[in-house]
Amino acid sequence: MSSFKIYKRLDLTSSSCAGPIGELSGVMDEVNPGEAVEVIVADEATKKDIITWANRRRFKVVDQGQENGKFKLLVGK
Amino acid sequence: MLKRIAILGGGAAGTMVANRLAKRLYKELKSEQVEITLFSKDENHIYWPGYLFVAFNLDDPESFKKREKELLNPSVKLQTEEVNKIDLNNRTLVLKSGASYQYDYLVIATGSEYHYEEIQGYDSVVGFYDEIHALKMRETLNSFSGGKIVVNIARLPIRCPPAPAEGTLILDDILRNRGIRNNSEIIFTTPINMIIGIKEAHALLINEFEKRGIQFVPYFTVASVDPQNKVIESQEGDKIKYDLLIGVPPHSGAQVIKASEIGDRMGWVPTDKYTLQVKDHPEVYAIGDATDLPISKAGATADFESYIIVDNIISDLRGEKIKKTYDGSVMCFAAAGLGKATVFRFNYTIPPNPPTPLDTLWWVKLMYNKLYWDITARAIL
Ligand SMILES: Cc1cc2nc3c(=O)[nH]c(=O)nc-3n(C[C@H](O)[C@H](O)[C@H](O)COP(=O)(O)OP(=O)(O)OC[C@H]3O[C@@H](n4cnc5c(N)ncnc54)[C@H](O)[C@@H]3O)c2cc1C
Repeated sequence: MSSFKIYKRLDLTSSSCAGPIGELSGVMDEVNPGEAVEVIVADEATKKDIITWANRRRFKVVDQGQENGKFKLLVGK
Repeated sequence: MLKRIAILGGGAAGTMVANRLAKRLYKELKSEQVEITLFSKDENHIYWPGYLFVAFNLDDPESFKKREKELLNPSVKLQTEEVNKIDLNNRTLVLKSGASYQYDYLVIATGSEYHYEEIQGYDSVVGFYDEIHALKMRETLNSFSGGKIVVNIARLPIRCPPAPAEGTLILDDILRNRGIRNNSEIIFTTPINMIIGIKEAHALLINEFEKRGIQFVPYFTVASVDPQNKVIESQEGDKIKYDLLIGVPPHSGAQVIKASEIGDRMGWVPTDKYTLQVKDHPEVYAIGDATDLPISKAGATADFESYIIVDNIISDLRGEKIKKTYDGSVMCFAAAGLGKATVFRFNYTIPPNPPTPLDTLWWVKLMYNKLYWDITARAIL
């Protein structure tokens, strides 16, 4: 984890037409190798969707946890 | 002392802010205590949702373009020139001619730009996101007699994320009306796991897709297009052959945001989700497509945001302490085929609850295409 530099933190707990994966995928396109994005999502289902998506895109889910009932993920390139 | 308000961008967002400010600051403008100047590199103001109608030959490009001068309140000064640099530290805009303009308040409304060139072969697509591709789509559809159609969203975020699904459903109806749906296949591809990223809206749309036999392919991030062999390939390693490719190009923030180094790497401006102020610069606001907010790049978003920015600039000018905050409100009328539409209305905390598609909402959508110029751009309401 420590080898990844956090490029951005995204709060994806609100509704958005692009959705949590849409918002994150847009940001991952700007991330350089060795960098990561920290995301907060509202529910476990979204967390699982992000992990599935990250695996398909060959991004690394470097860390995951829970904070105040919300789910936190660190997605790296 | 004269206060100068600069608005950068003559699209939906910038025009609404300018007109709403001008109406509210009528006295201050008259007594020359305040000056409002809008900078736009284009003489024309474009109503982007119109290209959905142009592509299907339901309307003409001329209906969706007006001269910015005709839309602005006469007390707003219009400067039709590109701004090359925004110098936030010195509160200055540097114009292409080399001239500069010092502001007390700045509203950044520079919108989105398209980048077909970022994906190999992508400029060969037809589409409904700009005039050139919409006219190409209209012409291609005119002689289309059936085949495999792929609709692709290249990358997110995009302007109005429901629009690609709207176009797909209208296309399905048009092919049916022409009796060529049976020998056509429609495949909708997107980088994400949903048609649009809100569960409630996805549920409604996937139901509509299933009813009509439209195939949904999630997790498809386009890597390249081969227009000779008519193949689209994804970063995930999938290939699809097509007869007709309808594409939504990669978007980014405006070039001036990148050149001024005030945005993220895609050129979106770091904006406070509640106050809409630009990070570290309380006298600067961002609105509309230009922001980095994870909401929706929609004219309706800009409409809701404009009231907050206008109120807060005025309260600051008048030395008042009360500030309004934006609650993330968005409202979009989305076509669910030819002749039916639904509405997505939500904010940061309340998800949408879209009604079953209705024909009355389709007529509201069509009517709004005409009313946009007066109600929204000229800010008559
Ligand atoms: C097919 C389609 C369907 C849509 N449907 C809907 C819908 O149903 N509902 C909805 O709410 N929204 C919809 N939208 C989205 C909506 O059109 C946009 O979100 C809206 O136009 C954004 O307005 P804006 O003013 O922020 O940006 P823009 O319209 O992009 O305007 C930006 C302005 O800034 C100017 N500018 C940029 N850089 C400079 C510079 N350096 N110097 C000077 N000027 C500059 C540009 O010339 C332009 O005038 C749709 C969009 C599309 C493409």
